[in-house]
Amino acid sequence: MSSRDKILGAVKENQPDFRELPPLPDSPVGGTEQLSAKFVSVLEAIGGTAYIVSGFDRIASILREQHHDALRIVSGCPELAFLAETAAHYDDPHTLENIDLAVLRSHFGVAENGACWITEDCMIERALPFIAQHLALIIRKKDIVANMHEAYERIAAAEAAGTAYGFATFIAGPSKTADIEQSLVLGAHGPRSMTVFLLDEEMSDAGFY
Amino acid sequence: MKENTKDHAALAGEFNKDEPRVDWHDKTLWWIREKRDKAAHGVPEWELLRETASGIKENVLSRLHEYLLQFEEQATRNGIKVHWAADAKEHNEIVLSILRQQKVNQMVKSKSMLTEECHLNEYLKEQGIEVVDTDLGERVVQLAGEPPSHIVLPCIHKKKEEIGEIFHQHLGTPAGNADPQFLTEAARQHLREKFLTRRVALTGVNFAVAETGEFVVCTNEGNADMGAHLADVHIACMGIEKLIPQRRHLGVFLRLLTRSATGQPITTYSSHFKKPRPRQEMHIVLVDNGRSVHLGRKDFRSSLKCIRCAACFNTCPVYRRSGGHSYHTAVAGPIGSILAPNLDMKKYADLPFASTLCGSCSNVCPVKIDIHEQLYKWRQVIVQAGNAPIAKKAAMQTMTWVLSNPAVYHTAGKAGRWFMANVPFAVNNSLNPWYKQRDMPEVPGKSFGEWYKKNKK
Repeated sequence: MSSRDKILGAVKENQPDFRELPPLPDSPVGGTEQLSAKFVSVLEAIGGTAYIVSGFDRIASILREQHHDALRIVSGCPELAFLAETAAHYDDPHTLENIDLAVLRSHFGVAENGACWITEDCMIERALPFIAQHLALIIRKKDIVANMHEAYERIAAAEAAGTAYGFATFIAGPSKTADIEQSLVLGAHGPRSMTVFLLDEEMSDAGFY
Repeated sequence: MKENTKDHAALAGEFNKDEPRVDWHDKTLWWIREKRDKAAHGVPEWELLRETASGIKENVLSRLHEYLLQFEEQATRNGIKVHWAADAKEHNEIVLSILRQQKVNQMVKSKSMLTEECHLNEYLKEQGIEVVDTDLGERVVQLAGEPPSHIVLPCIHKKKEEIGEIFHQHLGTPAGNADPQFLTEAARQHLREKFLTRRVALTGVNFAVAETGEFVVCTNEGNADMGAHLADVHIACMGIEKLIPQRRHLGVFLRLLTRSATGQPITTYSSHFKKPRPRQEMHIVLVDNGRSVHLGRKDFRSSLKCIRCAACFNTCPVYRRSGGHSYHTAVAGPIGSILAPNLDMKKYADLPFASTLCGSCSNVCPVKIDIHEQLYKWRQVIVQAGNAPIAKKAAMQTMTWVLSNPAVYHTAGKAGRWFMANVPFAVNNSLNPWYKQRDMPEVPGKSFGEWYKKNKK
C-alpha cells in the first residue's frame, strides 16, 4: 500500500465525529476617512511610511526626494515611465538583484494591520517586491478595508470577477527581524523601507508643497 | 546534533547554572508575552476569534480525510506536485530525491519546524547536500551547531556578543562587534548571495487551504519569498494538520497568529502560493509522522489544532527559566511537551512533568488547546505505562502511604519541621532537588492541625 493510502486510511479511521464549521465574525463598517487614518497610524507603528497624495506628480516628487541616489527604479505604473523602467516582465528574476526601488500598485490595504494585498500581475516578477532595496506601493485611498475578514471578501469577489492569482501576498511594512536579542532591525532580507501612497484623486495638492 | 540522554530537569539544571542569563531569558520572553497581551486587548472580538479558530480546527480534525483529498486535487490542478510521507524518513528521502533529480547539492531553507522534527538537515548533510537556513535566528543556531531553542525566536537563548563571535568566526565580521544592526546587515549580504545562487528552496507552510489548493507562508524577514521566487524548484513541507477548509478562514488565523506570537498585528509577509511561476517546479510534501495516530487519541488529539505561535512558550514559567534546549525536542515548551510523547512516550516521558500546571498556556492559546489539562493527562498515561522515573515512582508510593495514614502523616510533618528548624543541612543539600536554586522557607512552629485544635473554640 502506498504511503498516501496508508495515511488517508489511518486518518479516516481515527478522525473524530463531524463538527460543524463555526460562522465567521461579522465585518465592522467604517468610513473611508476613519479607515485610512487607522491604516496610516498602524503602518507607521510597524515601520512603514504613508502619504496621502493627489496624483502621480506628487508621488514622483516624493520618491525623487526620498530616493535621490537610487540608480535603478522599476515600476508597474506607466505613469512613472519618466523615472523608472516599466518593462512588463523580466526573463530572469536574478537580473532584479540590483534594484534600488520598486514602485507597484496594490489592490487594497487593511486598516487593522497596515497590510497591503498585492497579486502577481502587479509585481512584474514575483521576486520584485522582496528583492528591491526599497518598496513603494500605491493604493487608492478608498480601497482600505477594516480587517482581514473583509480583505478575504474582497479577494473572493475579485476572483469571482475572473482575476485569479498564482501568487499573492500581504505586505505590512519593511522586511524586519528581531532575532538578535529582540532588537528590531529593519531590512532583514527584503526592502529596507516601505512607503504607501494613498491616492485621493479628489484631493487638491494646494498647501502640500 | 548529538543524541542526548539527559532529561528536562538535568538539562534545565545546566541552563540554571548561569543565573543572570536565566533572569535575562525570563524577562525577554515575558516582555514578548506582554506585547502579545497588548495586541490581543486591541482586538475587542479577540475571544470570539479564539473560539472561532478553535471551532474551525475542530472541524478540520473531524474531516481531515476529506480535506486532504480536496487539497491534493486542487493543488495538483494548480500544477503543484503533491507527495505523501508516512514518516520522517520518507519525508527526508522525498526531499533528497527532488534534489537529486535537479542534480544539485545545495539548497536554501526558510523556517520549518517540521524539517527540524524530521532532522532533515542532518540527513541531507550525510548525503552531501549543503543546506543554508535563511531565517536569521536559524542561521545563527545553524552556524553554532545547535538546534533552535524556540519555534518563533530560534536563537532567543543567545546573547548578542555570542552571535557577534559566531559571525566573526563564520562570516568574517570584525571581532567584538555585537551591534544587532551591523550583524543583521552582515547576514543580509551573506544570505543574499545564497538566495541568488541556489536553485532549490525549501519552505515550511503555515496554512494550506483545501478549497483552493494554495498554501500560506508567513515571515517577517522575507526569506521564504526570497528563496522561493529566485529558485527553479520550490519544495514546501507540511504536517497534514496544517489544512484549513476555505481561504476565508485565513482571515481568522492571520489575525490571531502574529498577535499571539510577537504582538505584531500581522507578519510583514503573508504569502499565498497557489501555482508555480512559468518554468518553475513546485512540490508539496504532506507529512504524517505520527499525526494520524495522534488523531485517534481522544484526550490528546486537540493538540493537532496548534498553529505554532509559541504564545505558550513565552508565558510558561518553566520554559522561561529552563530554556528551549532543556526540552530535547524540535517543538519545545508546553505544546511540545504534549506533542512529543505522542511520537515517543518513553523518550519524552519527562516532558509532561516539566510544568507547574498553572494553566497560563491554555489561557493564551489562540486555538484554545487545553494544554495544561493534557499535560496532566499525559502524566497519568506515562505512569500507568510504567515510564515514570524510578525516583519519582518511589516518592509517589511513599507519599501515598503517608497521605493514607493520618498517624504517619502527623509524625512525618512534625519530624520534617524539626529537621528543617534544627538540622537544615539534612534537607537543604545537593541530594534534595527541591532546594536547587531555592532558599529555605521559614519553618512554622506547629502544623495547621495543631493550630486549629488549639484555636477552634
